[in-house]
Amino acid sequence: MSRTVMIVDDSLFMRKILRGILVEKGYIVTAEAASGIEAMKNLHTKHPDIILLDIILPDSNGLDLLESIISACPDSKVVVCSSIGQPLVIQKTLDMGAKAFIQKPFIPEKVAEVMESLED
Amino acid sequence: MDMSPYRELFISEARGHLSAFGELIVRLEDSSGDPAAIDELFRHAHSLKGMAATMGHEQIVGIAHLMEDHLGRIRSGESVLQTSLTDLLLEGCDALTRLVSGVESGSDSFEDTAELVGRLTSFNPAAETQTHSMATQLNRSENNPPDRAASAPHQFRQTDSFKSIRIRTETLDHLVNITGELITNRYRLTEAVRRADAVECQEPLGQLTALLRNLRDEVFKARMLPFSFIAERFPRLVRDLAHKLEKKVHFQIAGKEIELDRGILEEITEPIVHILRNAVDHGLESADERALAGKPCGCTITLTVCRDKDHVEIVIADDGRGMDPDVLKLKGVDKGLISPEQAAKMTPQEAYQLICAPGFSTSATVSDISGRGVGMDAVREAVNSLGGILTIRSQKGQGSRFVMRLPITVSIIHALMIRCGPFEIAFPLNVVTRTVDLKRSNIIEESGRTTVILDNLTLQVRSLRLALQLPETSGTEEALLPAVVCDVGGTLVVFSSDCISGQQEIFVRPLRSPLSRLRGVSGATITGDGRVIFVADASVLAESGNEGRFALQS
Repeated sequence: MSRTVMIVDDSLFMRKILRGILVEKGYIVTAEAASGIEAMKNLHTKHPDIILLDIILPDSNGLDLLESIISACPDSKVVVCSSIGQPLVIQKTLDMGAKAFIQKPFIPEKVAEVMESLED
Repeated sequence: MDMSPYRELFISEARGHLSAFGELIVRLEDSSGDPAAIDELFRHAHSLKGMAATMGHEQIVGIAHLMEDHLGRIRSGESVLQTSLTDLLLEGCDALTRLVSGVESGSDSFEDTAELVGRLTSFNPAAETQTHSMATQLNRSENNPPDRAASAPHQFRQTDSFKSIRIRTETLDHLVNITGELITNRYRLTEAVRRADAVECQEPLGQLTALLRNLRDEVFKARMLPFSFIAERFPRLVRDLAHKLEKKVHFQIAGKEIELDRGILEEITEPIVHILRNAVDHGLESADERALAGKPCGCTITLTVCRDKDHVEIVIADDGRGMDPDVLKLKGVDKGLISPEQAAKMTPQEAYQLICAPGFSTSATVSDISGRGVGMDAVREAVNSLGGILTIRSQKGQGSRFVMRLPITVSIIHALMIRCGPFEIAFPLNVVTRTVDLKRSNIIEESGRTTVILDNLTLQVRSLRLALQLPETSGTEEALLPAVVCDVGGTLVVFSSDCISGQQEIFVRPLRSPLSRLRGVSGATITGDGRVIFVADASVLAESGNEGRFALQS
């Protein structure tokens, strides 16, 4: 069972909402990151089971970051959570190894549902 | 899900986007066609839209969406930013700002934005010429008087009286910081007056002390919120989880009216959620299991908040299967957290604390063995960092009880100042149960365990000198060792020192990296004479062996 999570999103509001949803569902949020640099730093110190990743960040190209995360921590499951709506980009993140995609804006139930689907 | 806890954050972040938007668009008008600026504008509108959608503010979503569309067309080169569009976008930005203020004031009546939405929808950049633009301007001034902003609802809220105002939480945080610094400075002044023997300063200094105490009390009062502020969501949480696991749970909350510092409430919400979840998920038996044990089919979980002098106790109790200390010990040995010898000596109290050890409770298999689940290490860490104590009691077959004893406020606390060699350490008074002078001859060393008998209880003794990696002092058998007795998660532990120098009110500051990696300390304070003193984390220091030392965390 995967339980520890890192949330990567440049919006504090989004991080807190996601954190609230995840904690209520029994996940342990061990790290939050507002940028790609922070995300990579936390990745090595916290080793989260799951990474919730917004691929629009001020300091990095989201797809490059996704690639770095997956190659640095192949055991962590990455869920991309973004408002990018283009099916091509979504498919690309899944092809690169992301386990799921959550479309922003989301409803809390959707996030919970996707997280639970990772358990299987 | 209850979104109200995120409202403040939504408002401040939305305002950030809007003010950046307003600034950028004006700048863009000057140096037209800066693609990076268009991207950024687009991003602000887009982020705001997403946030508003999550919060369910449809009016904001609608306007932000239309603005985003226009920016998207400019970005793709389909249209150019012209004055009339800039005006319209700025108008949209103003309307959004007013709507966000409406969210803040909590009023249900939002302004009618249909007309603006209509213009944003019908605005056609291709057809728009200078004359059209003039027409729109004229048209707009008829329908939309320019002084609309002045009459916006957030300027004077009808519902609010002038007797209460909204204050940003950062302002309250600043007030606490300033009060803390004032208290530190008062100690400095007292010290200076004493050294200069300035008798004439005594009286005003006494006045200052009294006034500062008043100030501190008032500032803290302003930060207090009732527990109900966070409690609203718990019944739903328990209900939903119980429903999913097909358990019948009766959940009661008592003491919702008790007030705590908002910072503490914020920090303690997650730990409470973890404990409640664990209680429902692992603590409570299935209906069949309960029937076999002869227990009533419906389970009970209670969450009780009560005030005890300067502290608040939050108690979460269930009538589930409880925990077996022997099983916990076995698992601790199995996981390599303790040696079999340590396990043999452990009291049930200490065994329950094992579930808070990192690497123990995050295990997925713990639920079926001991009846406790995930995240307890995080819970204990959160409680300790607030200067509180987590106590776990359990009775196999009867249930478990988690007690979080917390200070009412965090940053300004009473502490006992303890000297050890060249060091001085502050022990928060809320963990200290008493002070005592130990006779060396009364200290019993037996199979690696140092104990002393106090009031007929055998208590563990930890040497602060050892913890600080200082050589032990030599003394006669009759020499007295000043010591403090601390309550560490329900177990009393005695810390021996060189000297207890007194009690003081201190302003605790959190440690930042790299000092935040220091084990055994939870913060630091500055004394009247300018020295930095660390605040001890008794629960870490109480840990046996090398663990209970001040050390750098890896």
